[in-house]
Amino acid sequence: MVIDFSTFYDFPRQLDRMLDEMWKPSMISQRRQSYPPVNIHEDETNIYVYSEIPGMNIDDIDLTLSDGSLQIKGKREVAKGNFYRQERPTGLFQRVINLNVPVDVDKVKARMKDGVLDVVLPKSEEAKPKKISIEAE
Amino acid sequence: MSNEKKELKKTQEQGLPRYSPSTDIIEREDGFHIYMDMPGVQKDELYIDLNDNELTVRGVSRTKRPEKANNVHMEFGDGEYARSFTISDVVDQENIKAALDNGVLELTLPKAERAKPRKIEIQAE
Repeated sequence: MVIDFSTFYDFPRQLDRMLDEMWKPSMISQRRQSYPPVNIHEDETNIYVYSEIPGMNIDDIDLTLSDGSLQIKGKREVAKGNFYRQERPTGLFQRVINLNVPVDVDKVKARMKDGVLDVVLPKSEEAKPKKISIEAE
Repeated sequence: MSNEKKELKKTQEQGLPRYSPSTDIIEREDGFHIYMDMPGVQKDELYIDLNDNELTVRGVSRTKRPEKANNVHMEFGDGEYARSFTISDVVDQENIKAALDNGVLELTLPKAERAKPRKIEIQAE
């Protein structure tokens, strides 16, 4: 007779995992799950996207803005030589970031500093919050 | 030296999460090259120590974030990169070079003169 404990059996581990997740700082819980890692911030006028892409020049990174999403594309080259250890990711990467507000395409700024990509996307006029004055009679 | 120690201690006290940076170690004809991904680390917050045969690299990465903005999504944060290597006798310790470029630290460890391959002349009579 075979008793299937699988669902039950896994329960303690699931509980452990859940507790582990809770211990982690929630802000950076998704670290290293997809490449490159991105941080997104937003204020009233801009959306800020930061991404850790070390060893790349800004010219080698392909930034595309289309259909309300920002695409970060590029390729990390492999160094030549006799490898003793290889941990750094290589090859093509792509990340799509959905922007839920219209963006002023012409004013987008991107720069690279210390291996961190920094993109500032200004929200277009109609997306900015406006105050409507109410005239009382 | 003591100043540097103090700095190191300071970063440790801040309780930043510590990460082991992704590292490539490559041997070429001129020696060994170590590449380490340390995005967000600036030159003045990078410490490289060589103690006997132990090479220790430490760097503090501070994430830029705009003031008064909401954090919509976060995948990386401030942190300290730390890693140490044991260096073999083949390396010429006097001439180790380090260069930080675009978040990648490159350490060049040239081979000592005596460890380089050389041809031995055979004398025939």
